[in-house]
Amino acid sequence: MQLQNSSMSNQVVIQNWLIKQLAEQLSLDSATISITEPLTRYGLDSIDAVTMVGDIEDVLDVELPSTLFWDYPTIEKSSQFLAQNYDLSNLNNKADDAHVLEELEETGIEATNSSKGWGGLFSRIKGA
Amino acid sequence: MHPLIQYRVAQLLEQDLGDPNHLESTLSFKKVIELDEEEAFPEAELNWLYNWHLQDYYVPVDCGGKFTNFEEFLALVRVLSRRDQTTGIAFTTMFWSFLCWMAGTEEQKQKLAQFMIEEHGTMCLGYSEREHGSDLVNGGLTATKVPGGYLLNGEKWPINRATRSGVTFVLARTDAEGGAKGLSLFMIDKREISNSEYYNLPKILTHGIRGSDMSGIGFNNCFVPDSMLLRQEGDGLEIGLKGFQITRTLCAAFAQGAADTALRTTLNFALKRVVYNKTVFALPQPRKTLVDAFLDILICDCETIGAARGFSVIPEQFSVWSAVVKYFVPTQLEKMVNDVYVVLGSRFYMRDEHDCGIFQKVLRDNSIISMFDGSTVVNLHALMLQFRQLTKYRAKRKPETMAEIKPRLATIFSLQQPAPNFEPEKLELFSRGADDSLQGLEIALQQLEDLRQESNVNQETLEKLINLGKLVLDELNVHDELIAQSKFEFGHEQSPELFEIAKKYCTLHAAACCLHMWIYNRQLLGEFFASGEWLVLSLHRLLRTIRPMPYLISEVYLENVAQELVRLHRENKLFSIVPIQLAQSEINKQEDQTNAITELVHV
Repeated sequence: MQLQNSSMSNQVVIQNWLIKQLAEQLSLDSATISITEPLTRYGLDSIDAVTMVGDIEDVLDVELPSTLFWDYPTIEKSSQFLAQNYDLSNLNNKADDAHVLEELEETGIEATNSSKGWGGLFSRIKGA
Repeated sequence: MHPLIQYRVAQLLEQDLGDPNHLESTLSFKKVIELDEEEAFPEAELNWLYNWHLQDYYVPVDCGGKFTNFEEFLALVRVLSRRDQTTGIAFTTMFWSFLCWMAGTEEQKQKLAQFMIEEHGTMCLGYSEREHGSDLVNGGLTATKVPGGYLLNGEKWPINRATRSGVTFVLARTDAEGGAKGLSLFMIDKREISNSEYYNLPKILTHGIRGSDMSGIGFNNCFVPDSMLLRQEGDGLEIGLKGFQITRTLCAAFAQGAADTALRTTLNFALKRVVYNKTVFALPQPRKTLVDAFLDILICDCETIGAARGFSVIPEQFSVWSAVVKYFVPTQLEKMVNDVYVVLGSRFYMRDEHDCGIFQKVLRDNSIISMFDGSTVVNLHALMLQFRQLTKYRAKRKPETMAEIKPRLATIFSLQQPAPNFEPEKLELFSRGADDSLQGLEIALQQLEDLRQESNVNQETLEKLINLGKLVLDELNVHDELIAQSKFEFGHEQSPELFEIAKKYCTLHAAACCLHMWIYNRQLLGEFFASGEWLVLSLHRLLRTIRPMPYLISEVYLENVAQELVRLHRENKLFSIVPIQLAQSEINKQEDQTNAITELVHV
């Protein structure tokens, strides 16, 4: 039960993050994005969807199937797949933070442990 | 025999085909021009190649053939294309068999291997459509599921060898809803479908490669059994895009074959033609033009041979590298062909004068290379979609990352090391930001610094290389800053400026490949290669397109490269960093006689 709850909340976290990403990348109002609509309805074509997997990998710090958004073409389906199959502890509600973190990294904040990527850095900051 | 084992088969094929200037040789210039005039398919010539068993090199060893990796294969295609791109391209549609080697079942693979090796069968690729062009996902040809198979409806066009192929790979829509998983790939054996359910579209008259069977194929409720589906329903786009990574890399060899002939036939003219009491080659301007053309070939060699070997070492990075090669090499060599025709004068345009009029045919034939298997625009777009990740990855590199890149670069670029066998199942749709050649640039710069201690390296040349290498790094840093600051947008409405940025990235990539190639093969590829003067001029040539640079970097280097060009021409060797021995040329025999006579007269 606990596991399921955790998986549910992870799913919501990734859903929100994906909505934000889409809204930003495609210059849309996030309120207009539905989690049950195919991503392609928002002007994201099949090759873009592959590239977007890379962005998700950066944040989650895991390697994903490159056809993730082809196989699970809505935000609901893809976040469900991610929540069920991957450790999303790197992700947090306040996750517009890829950008904040990018700035932090650029200003020279050094990594202090072995975890890599923005997600890892983010979790370190949160932990501090 | 060539000391590098991977070039032996190409040299054998070259010798067996004979001198293309010799009227009676297989694929002589005279013959291929005649075929072109008649717009005739090179049937007898292809049969000769089948009997030579060239098809074996298109089938991987584990499927019963002789293909191991691309380095050997590219040299074969180059030897073929220097004689005739029409024949080279026609025979090489067989390379689409890789879709089956990559995604087929054991049974499918065995059947296809037998079809190619024993039955001399060939195949073609049906992706594009009259209405949809490169927009594969929105293709209109449908495959509707019925018991035991599918019913196909629709047309594919334009398709090289559509009519003459026994096997047609067809990308079809299996999901009416569309989307990336809505396409499936079929390997259709024409012998096993009903004649009345498919038809071929008429031959298309084209500007170049006139003898090609450029046509199309259409299906009317054509029943195709389940056994012809590759992998699963919905996997078509993924297999298709990975297949393009393979063929895009291969396309460079067509252009390099053509470039060799364009330069060689121009030299045939420039070294003999006397104006103002000098040969054309002795005049500074044409001499510089021809040296630059030679440098273009050497630069493209470093990029292409690097990619050919890299394919076996880092296949997962080829969504980037194949796009770079497919953009850079054909466009650079198209421009090169255009640059040298000025030296050839009005003969470049004549269909019978000078070496049977081969130049104008090369010019026409070669201009399709940058268009097929993904146009220049498609490849630059594929590259720019990955820029953000490439830049992020490079910014995040750690000493451990660099330590991993270093031995990979050594395996890729040391021609003496055997390249591993190519494993197509390791291809990926995106490279996760990795691009060893450019991201290993600092490694190359360090290696150059280390060479300051080597007594067999000309320190003055090395100094120039280090300075130019640093400029390449500066430009790469500028590129990364630009990408980091720009707002990335998905989609197909990318700014024209971003296309220019992508072109520059390819230029820097080529510069890095040239550096790696030199560093790992200084001891291997002969004195001219080792001196590094060609590399100084090549880096300078590439950088000049990106930033203001002096016009000329060294007259002495230019002269030395000119001497090497003449030597390769006189000795009938391929213009290449691996100058394999070409078939004995009649033209040079005549030249020798002429020289002898001239000397006698002087005496």
